Amino acid sequence: MRYVSRKVVLFIITLWAAITLNFVLPRLMPGSPVDAALGKLASAGVPITNAEKAAIEAQLGAPHTSLFVQYGDYLKNIVTLRFGTSYSFPSETVAQAIGKALPWTVALVGVTTVFAFVIGTLLGVYAGWHRGKLGDSSVTIGATFFGAFPPFWLGLLLLYWLSFKYGWFPIKGGYNPGTIPNWSLSFLGDAVDHSVLPALTLAITALSGWVFGMRNNMINTLGEDFVTFAEANGLRTRTVALLYAARNALLPNVTAFGLSLGAVVGGAVLVEGLFSYPGVGNLLYIAVTNHDFPLMQALFLVITLSMLVTIFIVDLLYVRLDPRVRSTA
Amino acid sequence: MNPVSHMRSAAVYLCAAALVAASAAACSTSSSGNSSSSGVTGGTLTIQGDVGNPTLVENFNPFDATAELHGAYLIYAPLEISSPVNGSYTPFLATGYKFTNPTTLVYTIRPGVKWSDGTAFTPADVVFTFNLLKKYPALDTNGIWSQITGVSASGNDVTFTFKAPDVPFAATIAQTPIVPEHIWSTIANPVTFANTHPVGTGPFVLGSFAPTQYTLTKNPLYWDASTIAPSSVVFPAQATNQSTNQLEVSSGQFDWSYTYLPDVKATYVDRDAATNQYWFPPGGTIGLFLNLTKAPYNNVNFRQGISLALDRTTIAQKAVNGYMAPASTSGIILPNEQQWLSPSLHDQGLVSQSIPAAMAAFAKAGYTTQGGKLTGSGSTQASMTIVLPNSFSDWVAAGTEISTELGAVGIKVSLDEPQYAQYSQTIQAGTFDAAIGGFGGTGSPYTDFNEALNGSFAAPVHTPTVNNFERYTNTGVDAALATLAAATTAPAQQKATDQLETMIYNNVPVVLLYYGGSWGLFSTKHFTGWPSASDPYTLPTNYNYSLLTVVTHLVKA
Repeated sequence: MRYVSRKVVLFIITLWAAITLNFVLPRLMPGSPVDAALGKLASAGVPITNAEKAAIEAQLGAPHTSLFVQYGDYLKNIVTLRFGTSYSFPSETVAQAIGKALPWTVALVGVTTVFAFVIGTLLGVYAGWHRGKLGDSSVTIGATFFGAFPPFWLGLLLLYWLSFKYGWFPIKGGYNPGTIPNWSLSFLGDAVDHSVLPALTLAITALSGWVFGMRNNMINTLGEDFVTFAEANGLRTRTVALLYAARNALLPNVTAFGLSLGAVVGGAVLVEGLFSYPGVGNLLYIAVTNHDFPLMQALFLVITLSMLVTIFIVDLLYVRLDPRVRSTA
Repeated sequence: MNPVSHMRSAAVYLCAAALVAASAAACSTSSSGNSSSSGVTGGTLTIQGDVGNPTLVENFNPFDATAELHGAYLIYAPLEISSPVNGSYTPFLATGYKFTNPTTLVYTIRPGVKWSDGTAFTPADVVFTFNLLKKYPALDTNGIWSQITGVSASGNDVTFTFKAPDVPFAATIAQTPIVPEHIWSTIANPVTFANTHPVGTGPFVLGSFAPTQYTLTKNPLYWDASTIAPSSVVFPAQATNQSTNQLEVSSGQFDWSYTYLPDVKATYVDRDAATNQYWFPPGGTIGLFLNLTKAPYNNVNFRQGISLALDRTTIAQKAVNGYMAPASTSGIILPNEQQWLSPSLHDQGLVSQSIPAAMAAFAKAGYTTQGGKLTGSGSTQASMTIVLPNSFSDWVAAGTEISTELGAVGIKVSLDEPQYAQYSQTIQAGTFDAAIGGFGGTGSPYTDFNEALNGSFAAPVHTPTVNNFERYTNTGVDAALATLAAATTAPAQQKATDQLETMIYNNVPVVLLYYGGSWGLFSTKHFTGWPSASDPYTLPTNYNYSLLTVVTHLVKA
């Protein structure tokens, strides 16, 4: 399988490049973790002094070694899966911080991504099949309308009306303040209650992309000879629409779906931030504002890795899904 | 001091503000009906302000500058608390202090105090705490050991010896949290110690901790326990997003919040007019810091021209909705420190905009208007780049207004708005033209002036310094600071402070603009006795020892 081996080599080279970029990029940001920590104090109104700065420098133990030594340590730490302690959460390791945030994001963003993909694709099939008719226009116009909403703005509207004004949902967080995450039914119910608004925000705004992608692919496929042939054979409408047209139109959307699944672990920075959701998106934002190199590196690593792995899997899946890939390889 | 600083996006914030204001107007007629429920929830005090990330990490190490659990201020009492309003003292673990000479400070320790685990508190604990800071400089966030040479106990007294006379530094020593020797002496590394089972002498102990909220319960062993009204204090994690936070504060679930709200009457007070109140006193001064190592900013006439060309009322209006007044250019915060204000200053040190006077001052500095441009020798136009952190939206608004007003007198102004970390690096290195920054706010004129103006901090350009980053050097000011540091009597302190105010007023080391606000929002539903304009015993800040002062003042409603 030359195709597969070529993909494996490409995967390894991309992985190294991504890992190196992860190291370089955070360090290109102007200002140091100590300056960022001073900023937090200043924004709280604490008059800051040289003494304060010196103490924070000592507390954070900000690196003084050369970049080459740091890069070597960094590669070694990746291989041994040791990411050190975070600057933003002084008494936690990076692995602990990410470990706490990841399940929330995977559940919230993962479920909404799958949900948006399934519903959006079905709506796209429907709109494409009924192209030019009333059903098509209402789906298209609806998707345009909601797709044009910036997610944080839609989230703010939902938050204001459904939480603040009517009190149907909690204003913020992933679960009731004061409770400790566990697997009891009451906690899970509470967590679902807290996730409704962020999930709705993410799902509604993500829907339109899938609708348009699928609708356009459908329309292209419907022009193909094999669809006309199936119709001429007198097959049932649903069989033609789903098994002949939609099945073939789905292919490009599968790639896009793989990419968005890979992006799940990156979280949804703005929406998670708006709802104070305890996920990776929020963590990433905090890491960047605090110049928290260890946390940033580990997060970017997790994100790029999951992205690369899903792309790799999609590439391999294509061999099964699309016979043309097999023949050219 | 940088009230609006948590706002990540001006657009989001404006939207939320508009929404809140609209709703408050809509429901203000029906909201004042249910205020008779006082006492129903018992003695629970709920305080908003612990910044969640969005969850909290359990770390009650009182010396960790990056830990953000404000409850630690209620667990670890200090010797005394100095009011950031006027510098007056409230005693806690000490019953009083005196300077036996300007370099010897003696605290008398309160007898009969117990740690929350039942062990007796002794002067030895105080000595241990300060020696801990000496051993681990990472814990010494206030630079105590840069000022003192030793600490010792004898009987009920603890004596501190200073390197040089520094009477106002007593406030810093007094407000150091005291930790128990019998526990902390066994900690291998106090710098990284997370202290999840805190034992202190304060009025509260840790009850329960969850990542989104923790509860402190009353310490029955507290020396003055009968005067403490709340039976428990709840600290929920604050929303990471400023709009969400404002909605939560506005919804009225906290007894005490510290948050900037636009149109506070509609968004907070009117939502429950019987119990909701606010107090927004000044907590520091915001100023335009000119780089004094560069021409023409090192010319006092040029700086006076800038000061006279600015309309501070408009700047304050644009920056903080007019909640804050234009600042006295004496460096004194009014009305908090009224008693320190020199009577000889014209109009309390306030400077009003006067373009003719500004042009006269510029002319003295060698700058005149030519074709609408303020030009100096060699017909180059006066110009400056003002650096400010982009996340402090009140500073951004002030900077925009300043650039308009200075543009009107012919100065070419541009704004540089990086992230705080880069701003911090730039100002510390001394490579900027002008910067917006905070001045003072400690409640002690000496500390405010010394940190911002003492020539000994004025490092060469490219050598970073946080203090005196504008790099002001004036031997007269340094001498007056030294006199004030050594003054132990009130008249002597007043005389030296007056001198300094006059020098700041005349020399304009910093162009002081408007006061930075302290944004206290209170509900009297469960407790009364909050600080207010008529009883300004401390600032409404709940992220420092004012928290302890306020909680010990509260009375059950």
